[in-house]
Amino acid sequence: MRARPQQVRSDPEKTASGQWLRAMIYVLYIIVFVICLYTGRHYCFTLNRLFGFQRHPYIDIDTADWPPVTVLVAAHNEEKVIANILEALMTVKYPVDKMLVIPVNDRSTDLTREIIDKFVEQFPGRIQPFHRVGGKGGKAAALKDAMENVTTEVILIFDADYIPGAGLIKQLVAPFFDIEVGGVMGRVVPMNAGTNLLTRLLDLERSGGYQVDQQARMNLRLVPQHGGTVAGVRLSALREIGGWNENSLTEDTDLTYRLLLNGWKTVYQNRSECYEEVPEVWPVRIKQIMRWAKGHNQAMVTYGLHLLVGKHRATLRERIDGTLLLGVYAMAPITLLGWGLALGVFYQGVAPLHGVIALLSLTAYAAIGNLAAFFEIAAAARLDGTRKRICLLPFLILGFGVSIFSVSRAAAVQMSDFVTGAEFHWDKTERFRKVL
Amino acid sequence: MNPYLAVAVLVCTVGLMFVLPLIPALVELRRKSDALPLSVVQQNAGEIRYFSDSFRAYMNGLEPIMQGCVVAGTTATGALPDGEEYVVLGRVDEPLVLALQQRDTTHLVMGSDVDLILPAEARFSKDIYAGGQFIGGIKNNFRAILGEKNVHLGASSRVLRWVHAVGEFTADAGCGLDGRISSDSLIRLQNDCNFRRLNAPRIEIGSVAANPGASLPQLHSLANSGRPPRFLHDGDFEVQAGQVIVGDILIRGKLHIHSGARICGSVKSVEDAVIAAGVAVEGSLISAQKMRIGPHCAIHGPVIAERELAIARGSRCGTLEHPTTVSAPKIEIEEGVAVFGTLWARDYGQVVATQ
Repeated sequence: MRARPQQVRSDPEKTASGQWLRAMIYVLYIIVFVICLYTGRHYCFTLNRLFGFQRHPYIDIDTADWPPVTVLVAAHNEEKVIANILEALMTVKYPVDKMLVIPVNDRSTDLTREIIDKFVEQFPGRIQPFHRVGGKGGKAAALKDAMENVTTEVILIFDADYIPGAGLIKQLVAPFFDIEVGGVMGRVVPMNAGTNLLTRLLDLERSGGYQVDQQARMNLRLVPQHGGTVAGVRLSALREIGGWNENSLTEDTDLTYRLLLNGWKTVYQNRSECYEEVPEVWPVRIKQIMRWAKGHNQAMVTYGLHLLVGKHRATLRERIDGTLLLGVYAMAPITLLGWGLALGVFYQGVAPLHGVIALLSLTAYAAIGNLAAFFEIAAAARLDGTRKRICLLPFLILGFGVSIFSVSRAAAVQMSDFVTGAEFHWDKTERFRKVL
Repeated sequence: MNPYLAVAVLVCTVGLMFVLPLIPALVELRRKSDALPLSVVQQNAGEIRYFSDSFRAYMNGLEPIMQGCVVAGTTATGALPDGEEYVVLGRVDEPLVLALQQRDTTHLVMGSDVDLILPAEARFSKDIYAGGQFIGGIKNNFRAILGEKNVHLGASSRVLRWVHAVGEFTADAGCGLDGRISSDSLIRLQNDCNFRRLNAPRIEIGSVAANPGASLPQLHSLANSGRPPRFLHDGDFEVQAGQVIVGDILIRGKLHIHSGARICGSVKSVEDAVIAAGVAVEGSLISAQKMRIGPHCAIHGPVIAERELAIARGSRCGTLEHPTTVSAPKIEIEEGVAVFGTLWARDYGQVVATQ
């Protein structure tokens, strides 16, 4: 559709303000196009999950000559949760002589160290602590330092608030029998889902993100994202791409793209589920999503252009999907900008859309497009076999509102930091479990 | 109408319409009827013996009755704590066989510490516990069987859920094995059997040579220190007959490994893979599409095909010391193949005659 401003002014195209208006309209069209693209992507993923061929190629590997594995548990002031994960890891079904747990105690000032040391005494030879007392902050920096203790080809990574089930380690190791696989990601399930409205909304969001988004990307051979926890990485692949990037706020996104650009695949195991704790208060959630947004945007700037047009081993569909995935957090400020532009041109007395086709498009988008994300989450809830929680879908608009402003704020702060040269600050997510 | 009232009515109506879709949400938020965390199985690691172990524990209470029946040579009936009716057999004689034959289906949990020899065409809708040898007749229909010794199914029999044999499990031609079949020593299937998930230290399809693929070199696995180099090729690729490649090969196209080649590493093909006769792969062998493994091949690591897998006579996957998994949605496997570990056809597996 071409822009055809109404003739409410005298030939606006010839004036400076008319040219501005025209530019605004074109930018608005581009934003609408990008939003439609993401809407189509939501539908594509959801329909694939509901009706497409489902790929779970490695989940059946239950008997094998299991390789030695190192499990890294990232812990910074985790006295509330660290005991739970160490207990769980000591009872998983994996050959005891082939699994070493390294709790990466990153400069904790609480009782994390004492709790870890108690477990080391209790399970001699099975836990090798890495107590880090200085150095750069952040999970990636801590993991990077801990790598000097890792000798196994397969490395699994957990955050300290996760509780792995008995079969999880085998499930996460199994994909590494495929020599194309550099990274593995399992599914995260909130264990405190029922605490309050926020946790229930996050439960729905996680469900949509993993059950539909991640699995659809796996099905369609796109770019499943490494989540940095309930995850694994191949040592030789990690070395090939230069190790952990300690300058990244989201080392998982960074890892996903560096693996992809170097010819390694990240695979998603939807049935490798693990409980986590989600934020129970909005300020913590906002901090968390702002950190994710900054890290993701950082990866977008670093890898976006190279991924799309550069010379590397990613396939065409991976290039497109990877680029769209990198842009996910940029969509919040873009959407806000779109709203502003739409209001701006409207109050300038211009209706940028005309005619029956435009009307039909608008109606169609209002009827279908706006529901894309909700449809995705509803489909995820259905696939999970949960029913009543779908009733909470309308409240997701609240989560959406908070996210769009938080993520936009993160982008603004990030740009400001870039201009002023300020360093990124890594915020740890607060835990809500009671100390054991 | 008073304009203030009109505005108030308008605001209220719009407000009500806005709140209306939130009512079920508010009710659910208050009631928390579906607020528990998604069920993640923490303790069951997908063990194939999970059901049989549970059933053994379930039948433990009947052990004294079963022993009593064996001593007295009698039959006992009753109800288990959950209300399921059972029959315990202390002997298997002609009247019992006749009774089983005359019934359309036996709807009782059956337990016995004596050898069970079942008549042809008997049907059992509940689980069976066999403390002694279990020998089925032809065209039997079972729900589940736990055998503490050997379990043998007659031709054209069918299992709906699972079988576990502490001894050997053997199935005559034409059996349909829809669920999990496991044995602590050996599974042997004859021609035209279909299967889903099999697990045993040794799985034989038809008659297998005593030591198939014995000439293979030492195992390479992820466990070995130092990775072999990874050779990555975009497009189709052929490994020549008799060629030896040291390293992992990743092919972003179709792969054809000609006869007698040896790969000292793992193999992955993004498209179809054809493995000719006598090929040896020391690591895993994976195809993202279809894979055909020719006769007398030996694969040490996991064998995965994302679409279809065919394995020809005389091939061997894994070893007794290093068991492995062979998996694909659809598997066709010829007589004479040996798999050590797990053979898992997610949709359908079929034993076919040697071509």
